[in-house]
Amino acid sequence: MRLLEFDYFEPRNLEDAVTKVREFDGNYQIIAGGTDLLTALKQRLSAPAGLVSLDHISSLKDIWEEDDVITIGAMCTLEDVLSSSLIAEKLPALNQAAWDVGSPLLRPLATIGGNICLNTRCRFYNQSSFWRSSRDTCYKAGGNICHVTNKRDSCVATFSADIPPVLIAHGARVRLAGPKGVRTLPLEQFYTADGRFPHVIMAGSGEILQEIEVPLPAPQVSCVYHKFRMRESIDFPVLGVAVMLKLGEKKSGKYCEDACLVITGAEPAPVEAVQAREELLHRRLEPGLLARVAEIAASEIHPIKTSLISPRYKREIAKIIVTDALKKAGGIEE
Amino acid sequence: MEKTIRLTVNGEEKTLKIGVQQTLLEVLREDLGLTGTKKGCNQGECGACTVLLDGKPVSSCLLLAVKADGKTVLTIEGLAQAGELHPMQQAFNEKGAIQCGFCSPGMILVAKSLLERNPNPSTQEIKEAIAGNICRCTGYLQIIEAIRSFVS
Amino acid sequence: MNDYNYIGKEIPRVDGPAKATGQAVYTVDVKLPEMLYGKILRSPHPHARLLKVDTSAAEQLPGVEAVITGEDLQEVRYAFVDTPRYPADEQPLATEKVRYIGDEVAAVAAESEAIAEKALSLIKVEYEILPAVFDPEKAMQEGAPVIHGEQSASTSFWEDWGVAQQKKTVQEDPSINNLSGHTFVSFGDVEQAFQEADYSREDRFELKPTAHCQMEPHAAVASYNPLEDKLHVWLSTQGIFLKRLFLSKTLGLPASKIRVHHSFVGGAFGGKIDLFPYEFCAAYLSIKTRRPVKIELDREEVFMTTRQRHPIIVKIKTGVKKDGTILAQDIRVIADNGGYRGSGPVVIFLCHGFSFPVYNVPNYRYEGFSIYTNNGIRGPQRGHGAPQIRFAIDSHLDLIARDLDLDLLTIMHKNVRQEGDVLPNGDRLDSCGLTECLMGAAGAIDWQKKREQSHLQANGNRYRRGVGISLCSMFSGAMYYPFASAAVVKMHDDGSATLFTGAQDIGQGSYTTMSQVLAEELGIGIEDICVVAGDTELCPIDLGSFLSCTALVTGNAVKKAAADAKRQMLESAADLLGLADPAGLKTQNKMIYLEDDPQKSVSFAQAIQASVLKRDGNPIIGRGSFKGYPRTERYPSLAKAKGLFTGAYGFAAQAAEVEVDTLTGLVRLVKAVTFHDCGFPLNKTVVEGQIHGCVSMGAGQALSEEVHLEKGQLFNPSFLHYQLPIALDTPESAEGLVATIEPSGPFGAKEVGEGCVAGILGAIANAVHDAIGVRIYSLPITPEKVLRALKKI
Ligand SMILES: Cc1cc2nc3c(=O)[nH]c(=O)nc-3n(C[C@H](O)[C@H](O)[C@H](O)COP(=O)(O)OP(=O)(O)OC[C@H]3O[C@@H](n4cnc5c(N)ncnc54)[C@H](O)[C@@H]3O)c2cc1C
Ligand code: SF4
Ligand code: FES
Ligand code: FES
Repeated sequence: MRLLEFDYFEPRNLEDAVTKVREFDGNYQIIAGGTDLLTALKQRLSAPAGLVSLDHISSLKDIWEEDDVITIGAMCTLEDVLSSSLIAEKLPALNQAAWDVGSPLLRPLATIGGNICLNTRCRFYNQSSFWRSSRDTCYKAGGNICHVTNKRDSCVATFSADIPPVLIAHGARVRLAGPKGVRTLPLEQFYTADGRFPHVIMAGSGEILQEIEVPLPAPQVSCVYHKFRMRESIDFPVLGVAVMLKLGEKKSGKYCEDACLVITGAEPAPVEAVQAREELLHRRLEPGLLARVAEIAASEIHPIKTSLISPRYKREIAKIIVTDALKKAGGIEE
Repeated sequence: MEKTIRLTVNGEEKTLKIGVQQTLLEVLREDLGLTGTKKGCNQGECGACTVLLDGKPVSSCLLLAVKADGKTVLTIEGLAQAGELHPMQQAFNEKGAIQCGFCSPGMILVAKSLLERNPNPSTQEIKEAIAGNICRCTGYLQIIEAIRSFVS
Repeated sequence: MNDYNYIGKEIPRVDGPAKATGQAVYTVDVKLPEMLYGKILRSPHPHARLLKVDTSAAEQLPGVEAVITGEDLQEVRYAFVDTPRYPADEQPLATEKVRYIGDEVAAVAAESEAIAEKALSLIKVEYEILPAVFDPEKAMQEGAPVIHGEQSASTSFWEDWGVAQQKKTVQEDPSINNLSGHTFVSFGDVEQAFQEADYSREDRFELKPTAHCQMEPHAAVASYNPLEDKLHVWLSTQGIFLKRLFLSKTLGLPASKIRVHHSFVGGAFGGKIDLFPYEFCAAYLSIKTRRPVKIELDREEVFMTTRQRHPIIVKIKTGVKKDGTILAQDIRVIADNGGYRGSGPVVIFLCHGFSFPVYNVPNYRYEGFSIYTNNGIRGPQRGHGAPQIRFAIDSHLDLIARDLDLDLLTIMHKNVRQEGDVLPNGDRLDSCGLTECLMGAAGAIDWQKKREQSHLQANGNRYRRGVGISLCSMFSGAMYYPFASAAVVKMHDDGSATLFTGAQDIGQGSYTTMSQVLAEELGIGIEDICVVAGDTELCPIDLGSFLSCTALVTGNAVKKAAADAKRQMLESAADLLGLADPAGLKTQNKMIYLEDDPQKSVSFAQAIQASVLKRDGNPIIGRGSFKGYPRTERYPSLAKAKGLFTGAYGFAAQAAEVEVDTLTGLVRLVKAVTFHDCGFPLNKTVVEGQIHGCVSMGAGQALSEEVHLEKGQLFNPSFLHYQLPIALDTPESAEGLVATIEPSGPFGAKEVGEGCVAGILGAIANAVHDAIGVRIYSLPITPEKVLRALKKI
């Protein structure tokens, strides 16, 4: 499959990019690394009149620390993230998550912004136009049936990017530049939980993700990302979990002062396991607690069969990776 | 829409008029006739189309050629110098790492770039480096052997 | 006997440099001046009547040079199997019905791929959707949708070539619906033997369809030259003469008017044998437009429409004595061959063919059914039936061993066939290293110790280990078109040589091993040899690179051709040296010398020059040929499995150690062991490479590979979702080459590179049982199945 023709723009600054986007009135796509976009365009999942490339906006390619915030430009490639000593030192879980994305041949191209803005995925959707022509057009593709749920007007396609859970767990905010100016949002609010338009940009805000601001974690914070997939490269996560623990030390041992658990690969948006967090808070980390927390976290996701993996299996995997991640974040030996 | 880009391919600087919808893979294979770079899936899943872009291995089927403007590309054709196989090509051939040969250009380029970054990779690091390049023929063992032959 | 100069040596591949530098030209790389690009319109429906195909809008599109539909090709039929019993049932483009998703409906040739794609979207097709059936057991039942009903007249290619003429099409059991093939074999008294058995058990195994995943997608370039009235084609294929036959029959052109040119093949594994509609269409469109036409399939099309391994259901019952001696076996196999017959009748025949050479089963009944469904077409894939049947039999034997508290090794040793055995069909095992392979593999995996350890593992361990073992067998060539391979060795006047062989190097290394055979026999160096191969015009006939015939059949042809050239040179040398006859002459390093008096010598160059000048201008051309199976002139009967099958069986024992994560269900292959009786390894590096490839593919098919189908729709037509092994899945590996020296093989060689995909399945399945104490009866053994077996989900 070749790409259909389109116009191509390479604005030199964000304002021009935002203007270009507005001119297209919806019939455009932003291209960052293009590793996801090109696969979708080849499958004719969309046929935009124009692509707006962010390649030449140099301000989007930096990583820096200032006032206890680490800022990462949206156009930093995953290679950039991996080779940043700042991130390796201060945000090791982000380094891990970047390493876990796709294969080594994609990471020099793929950007962190593209990962955050990644579209949701579904076994009925991420297929060629010929493939999809065997069935009625599904809701996400513009029709009025969902082949997963049989409902007319909802989409449960799954959000499967590896990087957002870690960022959410760290309390990151995203800076968006749009027609109405610049705003920042907590990353979790960027996502809509609607499989069809999974985030505010896809929902039509006309914005561009400019950068990600991650508060410098406190010294007692430990964060890990644990990805489960069948093959240790290429594959998207079956499920991935980021666990952030802020640990306190009491006479009886380590206890949890604060926590955040975020799961990808389960629903149309990253899922924060809030009840699991509740269960953890102020408790001593001991095996019984971890098992309970994992059970709760697993019950907080509602996977549905959008991939070749069964929801039952995903639930079971949730328990295991949450337990493993908690142990690692809590520094508990097997 | 057409665009003119400048590309250094295998040491030669080229000015090319391309369609913006062309991938680097298409430009290399079709416009420049460099068919050593292979297309196995066209979707970023197999590594047959690997080239070194500013020294880093990437899937050229997922890269718009316009995005390579101003960059340096090394394809498999640029590796052997003056009729002499590059040592990595030599090692692949001697260790039996080439069967049908379709994955070989990509594998060899990845291997070369790995050793430039990390002259002493462990077996695990070798496997990780070639984890995006699928080979159906060899079961990878002789490929790993060939790369390991450079490790002291 | 082993003091060879080239045979058995680790000679680097002769085609290695071309492949390592990107110079090797594959079919996908062929580009001709004025070339058009073809694309194929396919059915999105699994079963439908074609009411109308309207191509008018497509024809109007600027840049479109030709559009064809089934209307243009009413009479054209072909098939992998094309006999009076099984008449050809495929058409390049559908006429009345489409029978699976991807079935070809129309084809276009245009100035660019983009225009061709656009043209496809302008073709309007009206379908009447028909009820479809996807489960072979349901398709067999009364009342199931009938997929083929009427059979049209056959072209019966094979009748010209020794298949008995038969008048009628046999459908032996009218109560079985959608039957596309049937094999029945029986010997001994099965009922009686089951009565006498101390113990018997019955099991059912199932295997899902798998994909070949050759890294080079299928492609064809055709260029018809009206001045010569000749069609030139470049095909990604493993058998150029079979393809030429197919093209000549379907296009109605004499063989002399079709030339298949050489191109490198980026992997085949059995999936590039059949004639495919895209190949026919490229040729037809080129004839029609008088311009070269290239059709290259997308990866998705390759997955959907270029054959898969047959999903198979095996029911097997075995009766044994207390000590594990097998008395009787009753096997029933159902293969789903999809919308067309494909190789259905062959795979059910081969499941028998790869079952009975391994164990001596005195009372045996085998019945196989191949069934039409509305799934994609199935065809040969590495091992072709062997993986399925070997997995079932050896999993079943492991269960029997467990029931009887016997060691599986004991049962295997008790029952394996030995050198000198004559199989019930008359095939002789002139070489058979099963016992040695079994001992070798068990030793290398540390069987006794590991099996004891797996019993002692604590139940609560998250990671559990186990070991398993299985055996396999494979033909070394057989009788099918063109029934023989031949080779020509042309000597140059400096003593170097060019080898002409029809065999295609599909990655298995045949250019290298054939060069070794030639070098050894003739007494020249590898660097003195040029190989011209894979071209129907330049090369003599060849069986093709499938059914593992290259080493034995082509190898013998090359050896004989080399011997013929050598004989002529020695005669000339004898003249030069004034000897009465060449009896005492030897060759080495392009020199001919008298064995008793090495001073008396002439160079090859001198002998050749003398031959030209003094022996009627003879420049010395050696020729040799070898039949697919010297002892017969016929195909075996697919239905009754009568007749001789193959001249030599390759054997292997394969063992696996796995580690199961009992929480996630993931199974990791820790170590794979293969002890292979390949007669004699012509090139150790090549043989080991073949084994590694087989093990990797087998491990993938045992643990993760599956073509996911729902209602005939293929859900994972990509390397992202079709989970074939990546480098990180590579196990530790050990190989042993058991040299049994096959008397009929060149330098003792026989099959390598195919059978070893089969034993690894049973080895892994048995190892998983050993690790977790539960049997999984269907492949692949996915993590979900493991957790279900452990009752965790
Ligand atoms: C074989 C394969 C395997 C993969 N495996 C994984 C995996 O394991 N894990 C994973 O997370 N991903 C995976 N991916 C997906 C993808 O490669 C990564 O998510 C990557 O990080 C996307 O970044 P990109 O720059 O290439 O995005 P692009 O493809 O350029 O963009 C992706 C989407 O985001 C939008 N977008 C990008 N940047 C911005 C911005 N700054 N502002 C607004 N919108 C923007 C685009 O319009 C587009 O819709 C895989 C892809 C392939 C082909
Ligand atoms: S979940 Fe339903 S609507 Fe969404 S992509 Fe899948 S089939 Fe389409
Ligand atoms: S062809 Fe580019 S990764 Fe497969
Ligand atoms: S050598 Fe054939 S795919 Fe690697």
